Amino acid sequence: MKEFKPLPDQPAPNDVVGPIHWIKENLFSSPLNTLATLLILAFLGTVIPPLLDWLIFSANWTGTNQSACTNEGACWVFVIAWSKQFFYGSYPAEELWRINACLIALVAIIIASYRLHKDLRNKVAIPLFLLLPFISILILDGSWIGLEYVSTDYWGGFSLNVLLAAASIIVAFPLSFLWALGRRSDMPFIKSVSIILIEFFRGVPVLALFFMGSVMLPLFFPEGTNVDKLLRVWIVLTLFMSGYMAEVFRGGFQAVPNGQYEAADSLGLGFWQKTLLIILPQVIKISMPNILATFVMLFKNTTFLLIIGIFEMLSTTQTALTNSNWLGGHSTEGYLFVAIVFWICCFSMSLISSSIERKLDTSHKN
Amino acid sequence: MSIEHEQRIENNDDIIVIKDLNKWYGEFHVLKDINLRVKKGERIVICGPSGSGKSTMTRCINRLEEFQRGSLTVNGVEMIEDVKNIEAIRREVGMVFQHFNLFPHLTILENLTLGPIWVQKKPKREAEEIAMKYLERVKIPDQASKFPGQLSGGQQQRVAIARSLCMNPEIMLFDEPTSALDPEMIKEVLDVMIELAEEGMTMLCVTHEMGFAKKVADRVIFMDAGEIVEQNTPEEIFNNPQTDRLQLFLSQILDH
Repeated sequence: MKEFKPLPDQPAPNDVVGPIHWIKENLFSSPLNTLATLLILAFLGTVIPPLLDWLIFSANWTGTNQSACTNEGACWVFVIAWSKQFFYGSYPAEELWRINACLIALVAIIIASYRLHKDLRNKVAIPLFLLLPFISILILDGSWIGLEYVSTDYWGGFSLNVLLAAASIIVAFPLSFLWALGRRSDMPFIKSVSIILIEFFRGVPVLALFFMGSVMLPLFFPEGTNVDKLLRVWIVLTLFMSGYMAEVFRGGFQAVPNGQYEAADSLGLGFWQKTLLIILPQVIKISMPNILATFVMLFKNTTFLLIIGIFEMLSTTQTALTNSNWLGGHSTEGYLFVAIVFWICCFSMSLISSSIERKLDTSHKN
Repeated sequence: MSIEHEQRIENNDDIIVIKDLNKWYGEFHVLKDINLRVKKGERIVICGPSGSGKSTMTRCINRLEEFQRGSLTVNGVEMIEDVKNIEAIRREVGMVFQHFNLFPHLTILENLTLGPIWVQKKPKREAEEIAMKYLERVKIPDQASKFPGQLSGGQQQRVAIARSLCMNPEIMLFDEPTSALDPEMIKEVLDVMIELAEEGMTMLCVTHEMGFAKKVADRVIFMDAGEIVEQNTPEEIFNNPQTDRLQLFLSQILDH
């Protein structure tokens, strides 16, 4: 009998792969395309040099007050002089280690849950993660654990944006999962309560929710109790986030094939075993891009808190701009700095998001 | 456990007893007066055109489908509207699906140990030993640490069979186990099933693999329009069909 031998693979020809091919194909494939490429290059050529000059080369970098800003470029002295305020608000200088400790704990747990073996992650990192907001409050407040008491009036700056957003999403995570489960439930009461909650917090603008939180929410607490403003904001952000994430999770639930439920049922798993061991991990994997996108949105929304008088980063910047020593019109630098800081954070989250997606993707072949 | 005792009927050889079972999807009457008794160790192949209710009937046995009228008893436990009861029955019945339905986020080994650990409360080590034993039986112990997405269809289906066997079931249900496989992979799955049949497992298999039916089945059931039209030994079914409907069906599937 004749033996069948497959033909050997040959390398792709040069006009199919490589950088020169890429440039030809993407930038100069037609006369119109070539024209567009040249026009864009000319535009960038005229805009970028003056921009860089203002941002870096003619900018003022050293000094302690605004008289140091003599060059034509940006007055970064303003940002540098206020950087501590921008980052930590009015938190007492000798107690700043507490904020740093909370931030480091947050980053450490994120890295740990990313690196640790699955068993350790489920048993250690996830419970720690869920406890972190409450531990952070104990540390930052201090009065319950024997540290010096720092009223929330002094909390502020970018660290507040980060910690508030993180604390909200951490609590919103289990809450929204329950809401999404409730919305899929066969039980009419649970289902309607879930729908009402989800649709309310998704349908009302976040600014309106903040005002409700600072004006209306106290009406629901027993008379005489003074619930901290920041705590109210945290509750509002958490519920707002839960409304959005519940819908993200619902999409995830719908994307899990019916066969997964049937396979879990046929093994005799109970409802919660099936939900937590089989369905939840797959829902999270499917929903990861949208969860991260929602989180980025929430993180940026924390700047709205300036409207109800919380001293997060943006409102600290505004305070600095109206300071009598710095009335030189530094708003461009101030707002640009806020924008850059937020952009760096949000862009890093996108990068983390795609790397998590790759890590969770077990459908690959190797 | 008391439920099981109360409803354990007279000890006899019938491990599955279906009486006058009827099921509707909304207005649509999918199963009509199904009566079936299956003996312990019996191998049954169910065939019929698509939409005949053969999958639905099989899925009623472990309550993946509800039925509206009639009764169903599995291993002495009557199927009633009670979570404990349903879970008791599901522990006795393994199921293999057309699309494997392995859990994609778990490794092969984790797929196999999940049921023993969480349902039977076995220690992890013991569950892993059992899992490896069954992976060896389906001839893929070397794939234990891979994910389902990295395996071929035939390998995935063999893992799915092993996953069910790890629960030590009394009965195995197969719902078109080879229909989603490439032609070259059907044999490796059928070989595993034949081996299982030779060991005396009670099996109900919905399939179009007539070669398999001839080889291992004690009884072939032909269904159409929600009814059991004929049931008999494979020889009688294939060589001596009693109804025109079965004759037509056989001519359709055997003539090409």
